[in-house]
Amino acid sequence: MEVIDISIRTIAISSIASLLASTWSIPLSYALSGSKGRYAIVVREFFNATIGIPTVLIGLMVYLAFSRSGPLGYLNILYTPQAVILGQSILVTPLLVVLFTDIFREYRSRYWELALTLGATERQAALMIVREAGFDMITAYLLSFARAVGELGVALLVGGNIKGYTRVLSTAIALEIERGRFEDAFTLGLILLLIVVLTNIVVRVLWRRIR
Amino acid sequence: MIALRNVYFDYPGGITALSDVSYTIMEGATVVVGPNGSGKTTLLKVAGLLYKPSRGSISVDGVEFWTQPSDVRVRIRRNIVYVHDNPVMVTGSVAENIAYGLILRGVGRSEALEEAYRFLADLKLEWLASRSSKNLSSGEAQLVSLIRALILKPKCLLLDEPTSNLDPDRRRIFVKLIEDYDGVLVVATNDYSLASRIADRIVVMKGGRIVSTDGVELLADM
Repeated sequence: MEVIDISIRTIAISSIASLLASTWSIPLSYALSGSKGRYAIVVREFFNATIGIPTVLIGLMVYLAFSRSGPLGYLNILYTPQAVILGQSILVTPLLVVLFTDIFREYRSRYWELALTLGATERQAALMIVREAGFDMITAYLLSFARAVGELGVALLVGGNIKGYTRVLSTAIALEIERGRFEDAFTLGLILLLIVVLTNIVVRVLWRRIR
Repeated sequence: MIALRNVYFDYPGGITALSDVSYTIMEGATVVVGPNGSGKTTLLKVAGLLYKPSRGSISVDGVEFWTQPSDVRVRIRRNIVYVHDNPVMVTGSVAENIAYGLILRGVGRSEALEEAYRFLADLKLEWLASRSSKNLSSGEAQLVSLIRALILKPKCLLLDEPTSNLDPDRRRIFVKLIEDYDGVLVVATNDYSLASRIADRIVVMKGGRIVSTDGVELLADM
């Protein structure tokens, strides 16, 4: 029963984190996709360089920000699911920005002129591009979910692995290994693997449907 | 009337596609000819108000276009439609594609779709209406993109290599549609039989410049 509880919590936290990251990554990426300026290149390169940032480093930064003496300590959300969601959303932001920017750049090159010549305002043209890019965007979202669901650093440092509250599959595996219960760790690992593999299968099916 | 004055256009990377082009697009049909890379497509996109010139100016009915606020630009642009040589379709049926521009202009979705069905029926192409736009042949897509432009009743229609992918049957429909169109028409093509059939005047481009506007007589020498 606890395994199901942990699995559901893992999926919920990581999917909300990816959704949250999408809310700021989509407009940022859309702006980057239409700009060839120096600042846009610098921003894009920054996100490119930070795609593989160690999760424990993000965890540490979020921990310091939300710890009692940190700048956001007054929010009192350390060791809550909200803190894990926020940490994971920061973690997947570079990946989402890079993917969304590439997607928007491709769709912009195909649809921008069509939208304008059919009489679209810039807002209507942007909506047309986002609408056409929908499937690709879902694929990017699922890839970011796969990155979030398997991470350990953030969940452990800012979630605290509290039973029934912030414990997710990755932190539960770490705990079982610590306890020497390798069979349980292996079972949880298989569930995590199943989630990641299923996500990847969905991504590939979607990808094939688009291409 | 679209007037280009000393227009230059440089692509990123510094490739100059148009050099000091001055030309006023008049009533009737203007056919732009010239070798590949001579700047025909760029000229159409600049005249179609899709590309902002690197230098020079464009005015539509005496109004300088690129200095206008964006809402005015949208209003002016809605009189001019550019049809790409490699048409892009939006996701959905052919009817939805044809209705798209009307919807962007504020026509209700069902009304726009009805109009699209009616337009297709008039051309005896109703069988195309519910086809998915993703499954069209290149010739069908080219025909649909022309219909998508014509349904908007633009004052000016710019066609880029319009007959490049058409089989004889579709070409016949296509040419008939172009001949029936009573607005300002600009066609970039190297299809001289089409040019000789529709042109009121011929513009010859080479190396990003207009080298001749000497009229249809030129065709005889080509």
